[in-house]
Amino acid sequence: MGGYVVRRLLSVALVVFATSLLIFAIVHILPGNVAYAILGEYATPSAVATLQQRLGLDDPLWLQYWRWLHGVLRGDLGPSLVMDRPAGPLILEALGRSAILASIAFAIVAGGGIALGVHAATHQGRISDRVMTLAQFVFIAVPDFFWAILGVMAFAAGLDWLPATGYAPWGDGALAWASHLVLPVTVLSIGLLAHVSRLSRAAMLEALRSRYVLMARAKGMSERRVLWRHAAPNAMLPTITILAIDFGLLIGGVVVVETVFAYPGLGRLLVFAIEHRDLPLLQAGMLVLTTIYALANLAADIGYAVLNPRIRYGAAA
Amino acid sequence: MKLTRRTVLGSALALPSLRAAHAAAGVLRIGVGASLARLDPLLTTIGDEYIYNNLLFNGLTRMAEDLSVQPDLAESWAYSDDLRRWTFRLHRGVKFHDGREMTADDVVALFERLLDPANAAPSRSNYDMVGRVSAADPYTVVFELTSPYGGFADILSDRQVKIVPRGSAAQLASHPIGTGPFRFVSYTPGDRLVMARNPDYFEPGMPKLAGVELRIIPEMSVKIAALQAGDIDVLWDLPLEQVKPLSGRSGLRIDSVPTASWDAAVMNNLTPPFNDPKVRLAFQMAVDKADVVELTLFGQGVPTISPIPPTHPFYARDLAIPPADPAAARRLLAEAGHPNGLSVPIIVPVGRPVRERLGVTLQQLAKPGGFDLQVQRVPFSSYDAEVSGKAPLYIDGYFARPTIDTSTYPFLHSNGSWNAKLWHYSDARVDAALTSARLSGDASVQKMQYIAMQTALNANPAGFFAYAVNFACAYRTSVGGVRTHPMRWFDLRSATVA
Repeated sequence: MGGYVVRRLLSVALVVFATSLLIFAIVHILPGNVAYAILGEYATPSAVATLQQRLGLDDPLWLQYWRWLHGVLRGDLGPSLVMDRPAGPLILEALGRSAILASIAFAIVAGGGIALGVHAATHQGRISDRVMTLAQFVFIAVPDFFWAILGVMAFAAGLDWLPATGYAPWGDGALAWASHLVLPVTVLSIGLLAHVSRLSRAAMLEALRSRYVLMARAKGMSERRVLWRHAAPNAMLPTITILAIDFGLLIGGVVVVETVFAYPGLGRLLVFAIEHRDLPLLQAGMLVLTTIYALANLAADIGYAVLNPRIRYGAAA
Repeated sequence: MKLTRRTVLGSALALPSLRAAHAAAGVLRIGVGASLARLDPLLTTIGDEYIYNNLLFNGLTRMAEDLSVQPDLAESWAYSDDLRRWTFRLHRGVKFHDGREMTADDVVALFERLLDPANAAPSRSNYDMVGRVSAADPYTVVFELTSPYGGFADILSDRQVKIVPRGSAAQLASHPIGTGPFRFVSYTPGDRLVMARNPDYFEPGMPKLAGVELRIIPEMSVKIAALQAGDIDVLWDLPLEQVKPLSGRSGLRIDSVPTASWDAAVMNNLTPPFNDPKVRLAFQMAVDKADVVELTLFGQGVPTISPIPPTHPFYARDLAIPPADPAAARRLLAEAGHPNGLSVPIIVPVGRPVRERLGVTLQQLAKPGGFDLQVQRVPFSSYDAEVSGKAPLYIDGYFARPTIDTSTYPFLHSNGSWNAKLWHYSDARVDAALTSARLSGDASVQKMQYIAMQTALNANPAGFFAYAVNFACAYRTSVGGVRTHPMRWFDLRSATVA
């Protein structure tokens, strides 16, 4: 098991390095120029030239990349050119707030999705299953930002229950903190919750139809035990894969939800970096996101290996 | 009590609201669209930042909502007869937010920083005429100009020339200090900028608010919902299509004011087909500017001839803007050698919805006059590199400048800095009028010259100046003492919130 984890970690490092190259290449072929973006409508050719030189944008690309990589390896994520301050603390602060959103949403998606899926599978064809199926289709088909705007109109502008936008630090009181999270977390998790519950229902149904479940029932095992001891662990395998993929979707959803709800997280910061052509900030933010996503996949792989011995031994062969 | 669906739903609706108290008393929350990138006022470039500039800092002069120029940190000023030497007397005893006194040395330091090319200050080219700045005594600043300039006190009211403590440039990005009615508390990019009342503000009895917050909310529908819910008190820069629909809502006040910001179809005067003045004139004849305002701005603007808006005293009122005459336009096109009309692409900026609409409007309206325009969409961020000053026909526009000289000379004089990035226009009568206006401190002479400029421009158009656009804000009725400023910032010294 240890060897497996080490091998997977190495491949994560390789993936992160490769994506860093890719990110660097992509952001440098974006049209536009940070000097123009900083100077705005005042950009005169001489001002642009001065600024480009000062920001080191005149250097060859490989040198710019090397400087960047060198800094990253020493824990320096580089500056935000536009905001004129180090990118590291900016990203860390924003990441913390995004992590609150994402972790609560992910807990709801994972826990709720599996529970709802198991419930639907064991109540197949009953009214609760049918209602859920309908709801799942609606929430999968209709995009996040629609629910976001609907939620703001209904619960903030209409009923006045929840704040429309923003973020309240814990210091403002638990109620303020939580009330700012309700709408973004709901919108962020609802589509994925539908997705995960739909798939875990299918996986569970498949498991319940299998011979080993028939066998377990035949030898007189209680239905609960059949469900949680035999069917569920096997049904979890595909669900974990889906959760790892959905984690990526969740990160994408965070960008949308943070923009709509004006929530000051990493997604907003990246949008800011793109709009202002703040390439070092964009690179640093993307690198952090890629690393998180790669680690999430690693966690899924390890979880898979824990549940399924064939994986951890098969990998050794 | 029996638990039915109805009782559950009913009690849920009666649930005490989860939201915390709306706001601390006396704090005005303004919803803006973009994160502020720069906190050093000298380096700011967007409207969201200019709001902040005018709350935390003061300039030497100030521009009021009626565009008149008034004293700010300078209590009075005088100029020499040749308009080359300007002397400003500063208010005594004005304190920066850190308690230090503001003196002439701080003003000199700011202008030295502005004029040093190494600092790449965006507005430097507006102050090209400044030769030497010096402190005659702690409360007197003298500007010596390299050429006469009648509007010098006016351009000192502009967005970026705000006085900061000398030697503080490095800390402005993280902890800005000014003399303004509000002092800096905190800034979270993507969320909010918090300011509190400056108890030592130099104008007695001001400000009235306890604080101001700029809330950054990019999504317009959410921003409108936030205004209705009372999460924000003021919505800055309301899209013009929202002015009419929101006007009837209770609890809200919508204010739409004319500005000197303009949009135009920019024509390249160096390359065919628009190097021929007849083609440019034919385009002007083909399109009805009143229709353009209705279709592009939902009526929230006025047709104009040049960057001088019809609300300004220097506007050429006697020059009629006639309705479209497609037949005459076709005849003129035929004379210019295009008997079958012209087919040209028109580039519109993606990300600037009003200007995109202007492009599509012109495509429709110019068709009967013989212009077959193909709309091409290019991201606004690529404009500088690919479009500006190059493409034969494209849509662009500029925000209001503080003076008529800075709004016209750079754009229309053959040596103007912006002219070279737009149309490459050259007309001897326009050049002469712009130069004479600049060399006079007398408003009546300036007016005569600017009207001459507009007359010449109308006869030989640089491109198609479509309109002067309105600027709108929405306020909750609890907000008092604020007027919508045509320069798109706020003067909140007398503002109140109930």
